Amino acid sequence: MPGKFPEWLRRPWASGETVGLTKDIVEGLRLHTVCQSARCPNIGECWAKGTATVMVLGDTCTRNCAFCSVPSGKPTFDDAEEPQRVAEAVRSMGLKHAVITTVARDDLPDGGAGHIAGTIRAVHALNPGTTVEILVSDFQNEPGALRCVLDAEPEIFCHNIETVQRLYPAIRDRRFSYGGALDLLRMARDYSPRAIIKSALMLGLGETAQEVETTLEHLSAASCEVICIGQYLQPSQRQTEVREFVTPRQFEDYESLAYELGFAFAVAGPFVRSSYRSEEVLETDFARRRLGAAEAGPERAQLPAEKIQR
Amino acid sequence: MKFEVTLPGLGEDSTEVVTVSSWLASVGDELKEGDDLLELTTDKAAFYLPAPRDGVLSEQLVLDGDEINVGDIVCIFEIKA
Repeated sequence: MPGKFPEWLRRPWASGETVGLTKDIVEGLRLHTVCQSARCPNIGECWAKGTATVMVLGDTCTRNCAFCSVPSGKPTFDDAEEPQRVAEAVRSMGLKHAVITTVARDDLPDGGAGHIAGTIRAVHALNPGTTVEILVSDFQNEPGALRCVLDAEPEIFCHNIETVQRLYPAIRDRRFSYGGALDLLRMARDYSPRAIIKSALMLGLGETAQEVETTLEHLSAASCEVICIGQYLQPSQRQTEVREFVTPRQFEDYESLAYELGFAFAVAGPFVRSSYRSEEVLETDFARRRLGAAEAGPERAQLPAEKIQR
Repeated sequence: MKFEVTLPGLGEDSTEVVTVSSWLASVGDELKEGDDLLELTTDKAAFYLPAPRDGVLSEQLVLDGDEINVGDIVCIFEIKA
Protein backbone atom coordinates (compact mmCIF):
# COMPACT_ATOMS: atom_id res chain seq x y z
CA MET A 1 0.00 0.00 0.00
CA PRO A 2 1.25 3.50 -0.69
CA GLY A 3 2.59 4.80 2.61
CA LYS A 4 1.21 8.32 2.84
CA PHE A 5 -1.99 9.83 1.63
CA PRO A 6 -1.61 11.92 -1.51
CA GLU A 7 -2.49 15.60 -1.46
CA TRP A 8 -5.96 14.99 -2.91
CA LEU A 9 -6.91 12.86 0.10
CA ARG A 10 -6.35 15.72 2.56
CA ARG A 11 -9.43 17.50 3.79
CA PRO A 12 -10.53 19.85 6.56
CA TRP A 13 -11.32 18.38 9.96
CA ALA A 14 -14.91 19.60 9.67
CA SER A 15 -16.71 19.98 12.92
CA GLY A 16 -18.92 22.44 14.70
CA GLU A 17 -22.06 22.62 16.74
CA THR A 18 -24.20 20.84 14.14
CA VAL A 19 -22.04 17.72 14.38
CA GLY A 20 -23.06 17.45 18.02
CA LEU A 21 -26.70 18.02 17.20
CA THR A 22 -26.64 15.30 14.53
CA LYS A 23 -24.96 12.95 16.94
CA ASP A 24 -27.56 13.72 19.61
CA ILE A 25 -30.39 12.86 17.19
CA VAL A 26 -28.76 9.60 16.10
CA GLU A 27 -27.89 8.48 19.60
CA GLY A 28 -31.10 9.75 21.16
CA LEU A 29 -33.14 7.65 18.76
CA ARG A 30 -30.82 4.65 19.17
CA LEU A 31 -29.99 4.44 15.48
CA HIS A 32 -26.95 3.06 13.69
CA THR A 33 -25.29 4.94 10.86
CA VAL A 34 -23.06 3.72 8.08
CA CYS A 35 -21.11 6.95 8.61
CA GLN A 36 -19.84 5.55 11.90
CA SER A 37 -19.82 1.82 11.13
CA ALA A 38 -17.89 2.27 7.88
CA ARG A 39 -15.64 4.91 9.49
CA CYS A 40 -16.46 7.22 6.61
CA PRO A 41 -14.01 10.08 6.06
CA ASN A 42 -16.90 12.32 5.00
CA ILE A 43 -18.62 12.08 8.38
CA GLY A 44 -17.47 15.50 9.59
CA GLU A 45 -18.64 17.29 6.45
CA CYS A 46 -21.99 15.48 6.29
CA TRP A 47 -22.80 15.67 9.98
CA ALA A 48 -21.81 19.34 10.09
CA LYS A 49 -24.51 19.85 7.44
CA GLY A 50 -26.98 18.00 9.65
CA THR A 51 -27.29 14.87 7.54
CA ALA A 52 -26.47 11.25 8.36
CA THR A 53 -27.03 7.93 6.58
CA VAL A 54 -28.98 5.61 8.82
CA MET A 55 -28.25 1.88 8.71
CA VAL A 56 -31.27 -0.23 9.64
CA LEU A 57 -31.64 -3.81 10.87
CA GLY A 58 -28.79 -3.54 13.35
CA ASP A 59 -25.05 -3.13 13.28
CA THR A 60 -24.12 -6.74 12.60
CA CYS A 61 -24.03 -8.08 9.04
CA THR A 62 -24.44 -11.72 8.09
CA ARG A 63 -21.88 -11.29 5.34
CA ASN A 64 -18.19 -10.53 5.57
CA CYS A 65 -16.73 -8.46 2.74
CA ALA A 66 -12.98 -7.84 2.79
CA PHE A 67 -13.32 -4.07 2.37
CA CYS A 68 -16.00 -3.39 4.95
CA SER A 69 -15.68 -2.53 8.64
CA VAL A 70 -19.30 -3.23 9.58
CA PRO A 71 -19.04 -6.12 12.07
CA SER A 72 -19.92 -9.55 10.69
CA GLY A 73 -21.64 -12.19 12.78
CA LYS A 74 -24.96 -13.51 13.98
CA PRO A 75 -27.31 -10.55 14.41
CA THR A 76 -29.55 -10.28 17.42
CA PHE A 77 -31.20 -7.01 16.42
CA ASP A 78 -34.98 -7.24 16.31
CA ASP A 79 -36.76 -3.92 16.77
CA ALA A 80 -40.12 -3.34 15.15
CA GLU A 81 -40.09 0.29 16.30
CA GLU A 82 -36.95 1.22 14.40
CA PRO A 83 -38.76 2.37 11.20
CA GLN A 84 -40.68 4.96 13.18
CA ARG A 85 -37.52 6.20 14.89
CA VAL A 86 -35.80 6.55 11.53
CA ALA A 87 -38.73 8.65 10.34
CA GLU A 88 -38.42 10.82 13.45
CA ALA A 89 -34.70 11.26 12.85
CA VAL A 90 -35.36 12.38 9.28
CA ARG A 91 -37.85 14.90 10.60
CA SER A 92 -35.51 16.12 13.34
CA MET A 93 -32.70 16.61 10.83
CA GLY A 94 -35.10 18.27 8.40
CA LEU A 95 -33.93 16.10 5.53
CA LYS A 96 -35.45 16.60 2.09
CA HIS A 97 -33.64 13.50 0.88
CA ALA A 98 -33.08 10.56 3.23
CA VAL A 99 -30.52 7.87 2.45
CA ILE A 100 -31.13 4.62 4.29
CA THR A 101 -28.85 1.64 4.11
CA THR A 102 -28.92 -1.77 5.69
CA VAL A 103 -26.78 -4.68 6.76
CA ALA A 104 -27.39 -8.04 5.04
CA ARG A 105 -29.80 -10.17 7.08
CA ASP A 106 -29.63 -13.64 5.57
CA ASP A 107 -30.91 -14.96 8.91
CA LEU A 108 -34.37 -13.47 8.32
CA PRO A 109 -36.88 -15.27 6.06
CA ASP A 110 -37.41 -12.14 3.95
CA GLY A 111 -33.85 -10.84 4.28
CA GLY A 112 -35.23 -7.88 6.18
CA ALA A 113 -37.24 -6.63 3.20
CA GLY A 114 -40.39 -6.07 5.24
CA HIS A 115 -38.52 -3.98 7.81
CA ILE A 116 -36.89 -1.93 5.06
CA ALA A 117 -40.21 -1.37 3.29
CA GLY A 118 -41.76 -0.33 6.61
CA THR A 119 -38.94 2.17 7.10
CA ILE A 120 -39.46 3.72 3.66
CA ARG A 121 -43.19 4.05 4.31
CA ALA A 122 -42.66 5.52 7.77
CA VAL A 123 -40.25 8.14 6.43
CA HIS A 124 -42.63 9.11 3.65
CA ALA A 125 -45.61 9.25 6.00
CA LEU A 126 -43.96 11.48 8.59
CA ASN A 127 -42.03 13.61 6.10
CA PRO A 128 -44.26 14.49 3.14
CA GLY A 129 -42.17 15.57 0.18
CA THR A 130 -38.99 13.92 1.41
CA THR A 131 -37.45 11.54 -1.09
CA VAL A 132 -36.01 8.22 0.04
CA GLU A 133 -32.95 6.49 -1.32
CA ILE A 134 -32.60 2.89 -0.23
CA LEU A 135 -29.24 1.11 -0.46
CA VAL A 136 -29.71 -2.62 -0.03
CA SER A 137 -27.93 -5.94 -0.01
CA ASP A 138 -29.00 -8.48 -2.65
CA PHE A 139 -31.69 -10.45 -0.72
CA GLN A 140 -30.09 -13.48 -2.37
CA ASN A 141 -31.87 -12.19 -5.50
CA GLU A 142 -35.25 -13.34 -4.21
CA PRO A 143 -37.87 -11.55 -6.32
CA GLY A 144 -40.37 -11.50 -3.46
CA ALA A 145 -38.03 -9.54 -1.20
CA LEU A 146 -37.15 -7.11 -3.97
CA ARG A 147 -40.82 -6.63 -4.80
CA CYS A 148 -41.58 -5.93 -1.14
CA VAL A 149 -38.98 -3.13 -1.00
CA LEU A 150 -39.98 -1.59 -4.33
CA ASP A 151 -43.67 -1.66 -3.43
CA ALA A 152 -42.81 0.87 -0.70
CA GLU A 153 -41.83 3.22 -3.56
CA PRO A 154 -38.34 4.50 -2.77
CA GLU A 155 -37.42 7.27 -5.17
CA ILE A 156 -33.91 5.84 -5.59
CA PHE A 157 -33.07 2.14 -5.42
CA CYS A 158 -29.38 1.42 -4.98
CA HIS A 159 -27.37 -1.78 -4.91
CA ASN A 160 -23.62 -1.36 -5.03
CA ILE A 161 -21.62 -3.51 -7.41
CA GLU A 162 -18.55 -2.35 -5.40
CA THR A 163 -15.78 -3.84 -7.59
CA VAL A 164 -14.98 -5.44 -10.93
CA GLN A 165 -15.85 -9.03 -11.76
CA ARG A 166 -12.34 -10.48 -11.39
CA LEU A 167 -11.96 -9.14 -7.85
CA TYR A 168 -15.32 -10.36 -6.55
CA PRO A 169 -13.95 -13.55 -4.90
CA ALA A 170 -11.29 -11.57 -3.02
CA ILE A 171 -13.32 -8.50 -2.10
CA ARG A 172 -16.94 -9.56 -1.68
CA ASP A 173 -18.47 -12.14 0.64
CA ARG A 174 -18.83 -15.41 -1.30
CA ARG A 175 -22.63 -15.10 -1.26
CA PHE A 176 -22.48 -12.01 -3.46
CA SER A 177 -21.98 -12.46 -7.18
CA TYR A 178 -21.18 -9.95 -9.89
CA GLY A 179 -23.87 -11.33 -12.18
CA GLY A 180 -26.32 -11.40 -9.31
CA ALA A 181 -25.77 -7.70 -8.67
CA LEU A 182 -26.48 -6.89 -12.32
CA ASP A 183 -29.58 -9.11 -12.26
CA LEU A 184 -30.88 -7.34 -9.15
CA LEU A 185 -30.52 -3.90 -10.73
CA ARG A 186 -32.18 -5.07 -13.93
CA MET A 187 -35.06 -6.67 -12.01
CA ALA A 188 -35.55 -3.48 -10.03
CA ARG A 189 -35.71 -1.45 -13.24
CA ASP A 190 -38.22 -3.85 -14.82
CA TYR A 191 -40.47 -3.93 -11.77
CA SER A 192 -40.36 -0.29 -10.80
CA PRO A 193 -40.33 2.07 -13.80
CA ARG A 194 -40.43 5.13 -11.56
CA ALA A 195 -37.52 4.37 -9.24
CA ILE A 196 -34.12 5.72 -10.19
CA ILE A 197 -31.67 2.80 -10.32
CA LYS A 198 -28.24 3.43 -8.88
CA SER A 199 -25.00 1.65 -8.09
CA ALA A 200 -21.51 2.45 -6.85
CA LEU A 201 -18.00 1.27 -7.58
CA MET A 202 -14.83 1.52 -5.47
CA LEU A 203 -11.46 1.94 -7.15
CA GLY A 204 -7.94 1.32 -5.88
CA LEU A 205 -8.38 -2.39 -5.21
CA GLY A 206 -6.17 -3.55 -8.08
CA GLU A 207 -8.62 -3.26 -10.98
CA THR A 208 -7.48 -2.16 -14.43
CA ALA A 209 -8.93 0.73 -16.43
CA GLN A 210 -10.31 -1.77 -18.95
CA GLU A 211 -12.06 -3.67 -16.16
CA VAL A 212 -13.62 -0.45 -14.90
CA GLU A 213 -14.89 0.33 -18.39
CA THR A 214 -16.32 -3.17 -18.77
CA THR A 215 -18.07 -2.90 -15.41
CA LEU A 216 -19.61 0.42 -16.40
CA GLU A 217 -20.78 -1.14 -19.69
CA HIS A 218 -22.37 -4.03 -17.80
CA LEU A 219 -24.11 -1.68 -15.36
CA SER A 220 -25.44 0.49 -18.16
CA ALA A 221 -26.69 -2.59 -20.00
CA ALA A 222 -28.42 -3.66 -16.78
CA SER A 223 -30.41 -0.40 -16.84
CA CYS A 224 -28.45 1.24 -14.05
CA GLU A 225 -28.88 4.99 -14.46
CA VAL A 226 -26.79 6.59 -11.73
CA ILE A 227 -23.23 5.63 -10.86
CA CYS A 228 -20.92 6.79 -8.08
CA ILE A 229 -17.21 6.03 -8.35
CA GLY A 230 -14.89 6.63 -5.40
CA GLN A 231 -11.54 5.72 -3.89
CA TYR A 232 -11.44 2.65 -1.63
CA LEU A 233 -9.92 3.60 1.71
CA GLN A 234 -8.92 0.95 4.22
CA PRO A 235 -11.03 1.44 7.37
CA SER A 236 -8.52 -0.36 9.63
CA GLN A 237 -5.72 -2.90 9.46
CA ARG A 238 -8.31 -5.69 9.45
CA GLN A 239 -9.59 -4.85 5.98
CA THR A 240 -7.97 -5.37 2.61
CA GLU A 241 -5.21 -2.94 1.66
CA VAL A 242 -5.44 -0.08 -0.83
CA ARG A 243 -3.51 -1.08 -3.98
CA GLU A 244 -3.58 2.30 -5.68
CA PHE A 245 -4.61 5.89 -5.11
CA VAL A 246 -6.52 6.88 -8.22
CA THR A 247 -5.85 10.47 -9.26
CA PRO A 248 -8.56 13.14 -9.54
CA ARG A 249 -7.83 13.30 -13.29
CA GLN A 250 -8.52 9.58 -13.66
CA PHE A 251 -11.78 10.00 -11.76
CA GLU A 252 -12.78 12.80 -14.15
CA ASP A 253 -12.08 10.50 -17.09
CA TYR A 254 -14.23 7.74 -15.59
CA GLU A 255 -17.06 10.21 -14.98
CA SER A 256 -16.93 11.31 -18.62
CA LEU A 257 -16.82 7.68 -19.74
CA ALA A 258 -19.92 6.89 -17.68
CA TYR A 259 -21.87 9.62 -19.48
CA GLU A 260 -20.62 8.33 -22.83
CA LEU A 261 -21.90 4.90 -21.89
CA GLY A 262 -25.38 6.27 -21.26
CA PHE A 263 -25.65 6.91 -17.53
CA ALA A 264 -28.10 9.68 -16.75
CA PHE A 265 -26.00 10.90 -13.81
CA ALA A 266 -22.44 10.07 -12.83
CA VAL A 267 -20.20 11.35 -10.11
CA ALA A 268 -16.61 10.27 -9.57
CA GLY A 269 -13.94 11.49 -7.17
CA PRO A 270 -11.68 10.38 -4.34
CA PHE A 271 -14.22 11.00 -1.57
CA VAL A 272 -17.34 10.02 -3.51
CA ARG A 273 -19.49 7.43 -1.73
CA SER A 274 -22.94 6.22 -2.71
CA SER A 275 -24.56 8.33 0.00
CA TYR A 276 -22.28 11.38 -0.28
CA ARG A 277 -24.18 14.41 -1.65
CA SER A 278 -26.61 11.93 -3.13
CA GLU A 279 -29.38 14.52 -3.31
CA GLU A 280 -27.63 16.20 -6.27
CA VAL A 281 -29.16 13.79 -8.78
CA LEU A 282 -32.60 15.03 -7.77
CA GLU A 283 -31.73 18.46 -9.13
CA THR A 284 -31.37 17.10 -12.68
CA ASP A 285 -34.04 17.24 -15.38
CA PHE A 286 -33.70 13.46 -15.64
CA ALA A 287 -34.80 12.98 -12.03
CA ARG A 288 -37.55 15.60 -12.24
CA ARG A 289 -39.01 13.92 -15.30
CA ARG A 290 -38.78 10.48 -13.76
CA LEU A 291 -40.19 11.29 -10.35
CA GLY A 292 -42.79 13.65 -11.75
CA ALA A 293 -44.09 10.92 -14.00
CA ALA A 294 -45.42 8.66 -11.27
CA GLU A 295 -48.89 8.40 -12.70
CA ALA A 296 -47.92 8.29 -16.35
CA GLY A 297 -45.16 5.69 -16.10
CA PRO A 298 -45.24 2.41 -18.00
CA GLU A 299 -46.83 -0.69 -16.54
CA ARG A 300 -44.81 -2.69 -14.08
CA ALA A 301 -43.25 -5.84 -15.43
CA GLN A 302 -43.75 -9.16 -13.70
CA LEU A 303 -40.72 -10.33 -11.77
CA PRO A 304 -39.82 -14.01 -12.17
CA ALA A 305 -41.44 -16.20 -9.53
CA GLU A 306 -38.12 -17.80 -8.66
CA LYS A 307 -34.70 -16.27 -8.41
CA ILE A 308 -32.37 -16.56 -11.37
CA GLN A 309 -29.85 -19.33 -10.76
CA ARG A 310 -26.19 -18.55 -11.39
CA MET B 1 -5.86 35.22 28.09
CA LYS B 2 -5.12 31.55 27.39
CA PHE B 3 -7.45 29.42 25.28
CA GLU B 4 -7.17 25.63 25.10
CA VAL B 5 -7.64 24.18 21.61
CA THR B 6 -9.12 20.68 21.70
CA LEU B 7 -9.62 18.13 18.93
CA PRO B 8 -13.33 18.41 18.14
CA GLY B 9 -15.47 15.36 17.39
CA LEU B 10 -16.55 14.48 13.86
CA GLY B 11 -19.39 12.27 15.02
CA GLU B 12 -17.32 9.13 15.09
CA ASP B 13 -16.80 6.93 18.09
CA SER B 14 -14.87 8.99 20.63
CA THR B 15 -12.31 6.18 20.98
CA GLU B 16 -11.16 6.75 17.38
CA VAL B 17 -7.39 7.15 17.40
CA VAL B 18 -6.00 10.01 15.36
CA THR B 19 -2.30 10.41 14.60
CA VAL B 20 -0.59 13.80 14.57
CA SER B 21 1.29 13.99 11.25
CA SER B 22 2.84 17.41 11.51
CA TRP B 23 2.35 20.90 12.80
CA LEU B 24 1.45 23.43 10.13
CA ALA B 25 1.95 26.41 12.46
CA SER B 26 4.81 27.29 14.81
CA VAL B 27 4.87 28.63 18.35
CA GLY B 28 4.59 32.41 18.14
CA ASP B 29 2.58 32.41 14.91
CA GLU B 30 -0.34 34.82 14.84
CA LEU B 31 -3.23 32.86 13.37
CA LYS B 32 -6.63 33.77 12.01
CA GLU B 33 -9.67 31.56 12.51
CA GLY B 34 -9.58 28.86 9.81
CA ASP B 35 -5.79 28.94 9.27
CA ASP B 36 -4.20 25.48 9.07
CA LEU B 37 -2.95 24.41 12.47
CA LEU B 38 -2.14 20.74 12.41
CA GLU B 39 -2.18 17.82 9.98
CA LEU B 40 -3.80 14.64 11.26
CA THR B 41 -4.29 11.17 9.82
CA THR B 42 -6.81 8.45 10.51
CA ASP B 43 -6.78 5.05 8.82
CA LYS B 44 -8.80 6.47 5.96
CA ALA B 45 -7.53 9.94 5.15
CA ALA B 46 -5.44 12.96 6.07
CA PHE B 47 -7.02 16.03 7.62
CA TYR B 48 -5.92 19.52 8.46
CA LEU B 49 -7.26 21.02 11.67
CA PRO B 50 -8.16 24.69 11.31
CA ALA B 51 -7.59 27.26 14.04
CA PRO B 52 -10.90 27.63 15.91
CA ARG B 53 -10.41 31.38 16.46
CA ASP B 54 -7.91 34.21 16.09
CA GLY B 55 -4.92 34.03 18.41
CA VAL B 56 -1.21 33.46 18.89
CA LEU B 57 -0.05 29.85 19.14
CA SER B 58 1.75 29.92 22.47
CA GLU B 59 2.25 26.22 23.26
CA GLN B 60 2.07 22.91 21.34
CA LEU B 61 0.93 20.08 23.60
CA VAL B 62 1.15 17.20 21.12
CA LEU B 63 4.07 16.10 18.98
CA ASP B 64 4.42 14.66 15.51
CA GLY B 65 3.63 10.96 15.67
CA ASP B 66 1.47 11.21 18.81
CA GLU B 67 -1.79 9.28 18.87
CA ILE B 68 -4.58 11.41 20.25
CA ASN B 69 -8.33 11.22 20.81
CA VAL B 70 -11.25 13.54 20.31
CA GLY B 71 -11.37 15.95 23.23
CA ASP B 72 -7.61 16.03 23.82
CA ILE B 73 -6.02 19.47 24.15
CA VAL B 74 -3.60 19.97 21.26
CA CYS B 75 -2.31 23.47 21.92
CA ILE B 76 -2.75 26.74 23.78
CA PHE B 77 -3.67 30.02 22.13
CA GLU B 78 -2.97 33.40 23.65
CA ILE B 79 -5.92 35.58 22.76
CA LYS B 80 -6.73 39.20 23.36
CA ALA B 81 -9.09 39.61 26.30
